[in-house]
Amino acid sequence: MFYCEKCGIHVSGSGKRCPLCQGELAGTPEEDAYPVIEEARTPYGLIIRMALFLTVAALAVCIAINYCFPESGWWFLFVAAGLASVWLVIGIALSKRRNPLKAIVWLLAVVSVLLLVWDWRTGSRGWSINFVLPILIPCMQIAVVATAWALHLRASDYLLSLGISLFAGFFPLIPLLCQWLWMVYPSVICVSFSVILLAALVLFQGSALKAELIRRTHI
Amino acid sequence: MKNRTNKNVPSWWTLDNAAKIFPSTGSSHDSKVFRFVCELQEEVSPPLLQKALDKTIERFPMYRSVMKRGWFWYYLEDSTLPAKIREEDSPPCCPIYPSIRRSLLFRVLYYRKRISLEVYHALTDGTGALNFLCTLVYEYLLLRHPDEFPKPFPALPYDASQSQRQTDSFQKYYEKPARRLPGSSPAAYQLKGERLPRNHLAILEGRMPLEDILACARAKGATLTELMAAVFLLALQEGMRVRDRKKPVVITIPVNLRNYFPSESARNFFATINVGYDFGKGDGSLESVLAEVKRSFQANLTEERMREQMNTLCALEHSIPLRLVPLPIKDIVLRIANWLTSRGITASFSNIGRVSMPEEMNRHIHLFNVFTSAGMLQACACSFHGQYIVSFASPFRSCETERIFFRKLSQMGIDVILTTNLPSESEVN
Repeated sequence: MFYCEKCGIHVSGSGKRCPLCQGELAGTPEEDAYPVIEEARTPYGLIIRMALFLTVAALAVCIAINYCFPESGWWFLFVAAGLASVWLVIGIALSKRRNPLKAIVWLLAVVSVLLLVWDWRTGSRGWSINFVLPILIPCMQIAVVATAWALHLRASDYLLSLGISLFAGFFPLIPLLCQWLWMVYPSVICVSFSVILLAALVLFQGSALKAELIRRTHI
Repeated sequence: MKNRTNKNVPSWWTLDNAAKIFPSTGSSHDSKVFRFVCELQEEVSPPLLQKALDKTIERFPMYRSVMKRGWFWYYLEDSTLPAKIREEDSPPCCPIYPSIRRSLLFRVLYYRKRISLEVYHALTDGTGALNFLCTLVYEYLLLRHPDEFPKPFPALPYDASQSQRQTDSFQKYYEKPARRLPGSSPAAYQLKGERLPRNHLAILEGRMPLEDILACARAKGATLTELMAAVFLLALQEGMRVRDRKKPVVITIPVNLRNYFPSESARNFFATINVGYDFGKGDGSLESVLAEVKRSFQANLTEERMREQMNTLCALEHSIPLRLVPLPIKDIVLRIANWLTSRGITASFSNIGRVSMPEEMNRHIHLFNVFTSAGMLQACACSFHGQYIVSFASPFRSCETERIFFRKLSQMGIDVILTTNLPSESEVN
């Protein structure tokens, strides 16, 4: 054990200086009570920073070229919006990575909105509501079920995410009933698939779903 | 265990009154995690510790729970996650729940002779966690020295049924208060300074003979907690700049409500009192500070005042309009409320009191120790088998307050042995 003359205090461990006054210690070292902690490494930090750097660089180049040749229109806005959309999706996926079901539900919501906006801003040809969304939604529903099954999740851990993704499956009813679509098959399949899944959920997990809703909404 | 819990409908618990604030106000520099340490006389055997943990957790089923986010409140839900011991590989009191992710709300670590239990405050308070650690050490020593403790095993001092342990005692003792307590307290002196990198905590444990320090307190006509609080206030004052002197130095002291209201709950059941001294007005001698601390203790530590404080806190939780506020907004409001409260506090001091284990086991145990992360300077104290330990956990690089505190004790003739987690080639300065 060490002794600090100035503080009049014994010091255990192997440190050579008094932790209080940083003065010299006299005595013999002992084993430390605490381990030396290795600095935690963040393996993805650098990759993300590199990607962000490349994004900014590419955007700067695009703006510069576009500014020099304005006769081709302000196409850099498309590049910027595209990169922003990609980063939005990556950001959500990364921030929710510890809870994959939450990630799926969030991605479903954000990607749907992005698709609608892109469709609308690029000529409103309706490809989002005719094809992409009615195909995307059942895929996400299957992804929820598959994740829950693969991770051996308990009902209480996946019921709410599944419920929300099933609820989303009924949105294609709006353009369908309003007759905005020129291609109805994907939407019809999406809605009927959601009905089947919902029936399975309510009939086989109804009580668990109810209990989960009670827990989540207790005041 | 498996048969009892329905696989699809797990049991769940609302957070108790004190716990409700922790998930909203926790952050990476204030993790709301505290650590209890038991240092044995010999190196810890990991396989036996794991076995002991498996046995212990059966007695404390709430420790199996995970925290989930509801639409109005956080809540605890029973889980099937295994509780695994780990060799200490993280800085003390690092966050257990930085976001809502699926993990148990405590961890059991070992390093050489030390067994550490780190607990997220939303799960339980110091008394509850200490009961868990004592049970764990008890089970471990039974396994480690089977021939020394033949049946019948020595009785554990802590005895409570499972439902007693799971009780939310705040709910049990809540009565609608007749009036509200007056609002916020004046701003107190705040410690400032460079913080340690990566939200690390500097731990300084001072071990001293209980008898000596008790004699010291008795000679001054005070209890041990009163003396420590007074010395702490003085140590804080000495580090103050002159222009800060107009602000009072205030330390907050958690009070175990189990001493006032019968409860065996293993969850949170505490309130806090504030003890302050205005060095701009008083003469700043130990006698004068001690007199003020004693007066403050006597005025605040009554069943009446504890009941008042508890009822005021619980009244907020029982107000229907407040309960209907969605959780994201509650998070923000609670953060602001927490910030307002912390402005009135300089530092914090918790006295856990005496830790007791079956007499036959004491010779295998070197010490018990406790400290907590609080985003500010925090001291915790406990005593075991004739030793008294005060541990400081500080987010700051400078340890001036600790230096003055321990020097004052050594000047009183107390023999202090210091242990720290600061690296040998000290980063300080």
